[in-house]
Amino acid sequence: MRTFAAFVLVVALAVSVPAAHAGSHTDASVNYINDLSNQAITTLSDKSISTEQRREEFRKLFRDGFAVNGIARFVAGRYWRSASEDERTEYLQLFEDVIVNTWADRFSQYSGQKFEVRGATDATPDKSPENVALVESLFFTDPTTPVRLEWRVASKGDLFKIVDVKLEGISMATTQRDEFNSVVSKNGRTLAALIEELRRRDGGS
Amino acid sequence: MLNSVSGTKVIRFAAALTLVGALSACATPPSSDDADARAAYDEANDPFEPANRLVFSANVMVDQLVLQPVAVTYRDLFPNALKPPVENFITNLFQPLSFLHSLLQGDLDRAEQAAARFFTALPTLLLADTFPDRQPVFEDGGQTLAVWGFAEGPYVMLPLLGPSSVRDTVGTVGDFFADPVKIIAGSELSTGRSVGNVVVNRSKNIEQVRELQRTSLDYYAAVRSLYRQQRAAQIRNGISEPAHNAPTIGLDLDEPVPDDEKKETAATN
Repeated sequence: MRTFAAFVLVVALAVSVPAAHAGSHTDASVNYINDLSNQAITTLSDKSISTEQRREEFRKLFRDGFAVNGIARFVAGRYWRSASEDERTEYLQLFEDVIVNTWADRFSQYSGQKFEVRGATDATPDKSPENVALVESLFFTDPTTPVRLEWRVASKGDLFKIVDVKLEGISMATTQRDEFNSVVSKNGRTLAALIEELRRRDGGS
Repeated sequence: MLNSVSGTKVIRFAAALTLVGALSACATPPSSDDADARAAYDEANDPFEPANRLVFSANVMVDQLVLQPVAVTYRDLFPNALKPPVENFITNLFQPLSFLHSLLQGDLDRAEQAAARFFTALPTLLLADTFPDRQPVFEDGGQTLAVWGFAEGPYVMLPLLGPSSVRDTVGTVGDFFADPVKIIAGSELSTGRSVGNVVVNRSKNIEQVRELQRTSLDYYAAVRSLYRQQRAAQIRNGISEPAHNAPTIGLDLDEPVPDDEKKETAATN
């Protein structure tokens, strides 16, 4: 559980695609994470705007930095396949509202701790149409015991997106998928059931 | 305030719940003609789920009534200057057990690290962190069984002790008897250390646990997932998972929409 802690304290992310052609995709992914974290830190430490505005800005960075739709599909797992086009569209919208806001809020509690990108390794699966890099970073919640954060960055040409974040080996995407699976398996085993639950959550909070 | 009598009651109640749960409830596996349901059931690997959920709610209650208040007190009222020695003491007292398990796993490097940390801290009465640049070694029975090739088995929610698996439960029972600290210095010290460790860890997660409870759609399932992933990471000793094990999350749904389509979407929103 100690590791989950870091979800709340952590940093990073933003929008613009860095000049991607320099070097390999792993180097470019390191640059991407560096750029994102700098932008995120700038946004979060901007004292001239209201808390609500800052949060909104941050959510925007988050939506652009992460492959939100791809993560949503992964998290829906087997229920995505049997869903109708309308259900998928509504689900993607709700996922963005509910989950992105939750995740972005966790990240936005960052308050100036040291963040350090260490490097990246190639993690492209066989026969993948995209490159995948695993960018390793350390996040110092306190000076002596850093938390290990890994960013899984998928890229295709100039397009770079974060597809997963792992905190001391715990994947945000996998955790979310396991949780959704449990909810759906108790309620009719369709994407519609999950949509219902997310709608309730969206209205309630 | 919770006095010790009602504390005992809570524990008894938790025990009673466990018993009721264990007697009455095993999840019925879905019939084999519903492939999706069957796959979801197998993936959760939690045949005792109804009983586990009962124990979990009792654990959550004990946490709210006892553990969390104690942890908050430690975090807010215990002098900050005294926290590092206390926490070092607990960590150092885990090193003999970690040493034993590193040996059993054939990991001489980590065995040496654990021994070095323990013996260099002895002159300070185990109060110092003698290797501030290095993570302490934490190995236990469950991890050793995993290294030896035992499968994790179904998920188990233990009363008071929290999330576990069949394998980790066997490891926990083994550690109870095999812990060198207990054998040499007695069970008061080893129990005190373990209780202290729970309080210290909990004190570092107050907000995070609250946040997880607030935001998760299914808190029980979220904890189950976190526990399994965390144990898997501990067994790998922090080394990244091989790439082919990682989830495949494609970019195809997130490629930029051509400009004219984008306007259309914007208009409909």
